[in-house]
Amino acid sequence: MSADPDEELIRRVGAGDPAAVQTLVARKLPRILSLAVRMLGDAAEAEDVAQETFVRIWRHASSWRRGNARFDTWIHRVTLNLCYDRLRRRREWVTDDLPDVADPAPLPDAGDETQRIEQALQTIAPRQREAIVLVYYQEMSNIEAAATLEISVDALESLLSRGRRALQMILAKDGVHD
Amino acid sequence: MAEDIEDGPAMDAKRFAALAEAFGGDPRRWPQAERAAAEAFASSETGQAISRHAGKLDALLDSYRVRPPSKALYGSILRGADRHLVQRRRQRFWWLGLGLAGIGLAGAIAGLTLVTVVTPEAQSEHYVLDANATAFGDAGPEAENGEESL
Repeated sequence: MSADPDEELIRRVGAGDPAAVQTLVARKLPRILSLAVRMLGDAAEAEDVAQETFVRIWRHASSWRRGNARFDTWIHRVTLNLCYDRLRRRREWVTDDLPDVADPAPLPDAGDETQRIEQALQTIAPRQREAIVLVYYQEMSNIEAAATLEISVDALESLLSRGRRALQMILAKDGVHD
Repeated sequence: MAEDIEDGPAMDAKRFAALAEAFGGDPRRWPQAERAAAEAFASSETGQAISRHAGKLDALLDSYRVRPPSKALYGSILRGADRHLVQRRRQRFWWLGLGLAGIGLAGAIAGLTLVTVVTPEAQSEHYVLDANATAFGDAGPEAENGEESL
């Protein structure tokens, strides 16, 4: 396994170094927030998730040991779990047993293209959304994304294919994608 | 999958299409083990057509940008970190105090034990009264005899 680029930083955070705390926030907050925004489709909720993620980081920093996962993978998993808690609370949770075909209803009239993409992403199954967000927006490799989702790379590829097909279908219905 | 094959698998249109369908048209997102073969295949006519099609959805996905974190959020998270650090420092002092108190108590017990072991047993000055004793002396049979001899 390759070296973890965050290992030294998190050790310093664990030791209570204020400069390391600032560096960690500057380095990770944009990634955590963008992940949460795209998973939840709600900026305010995403900010709450980002704050909760950092509370967990502060709590675990002094005892954090690299096991099988990198620190970045670990915080992505924490963020995703917090997002799932909120999705569950919103009753949007869809289990793997349920069909992951997107809702065929056309998207509501959205103001611009970005909003249509955002809404299309919110329409597909959460697991597919997760896979797409990790690979496209968080720029994780297939191995890192699979590790974060705790699935095989084959399963990741399958989630991505189904997710993209679902997005194409939704956007085509909406006239955004041909 | 591809990651398990060291030299990378042979690329054909079917596999190329499957990769494009999953990872999009940008080979930088593709599995590293298959990237070189995929990039070579991408220059073919079929490869170009598949990449073009996948690229349309990529362009749409790229257009979805998220606002960077606000200064207020940075500030709030840093204040949270400060609070946590202060709390942890207090806890550390509390444990340190508890540890010192424990050491002090252990020392006191050890000292007391040592004194008890080393100091010789003092003779008891405690006078045990028996049935014949009075405040003026022994009122037993010998005392009675003494009175008679007077």
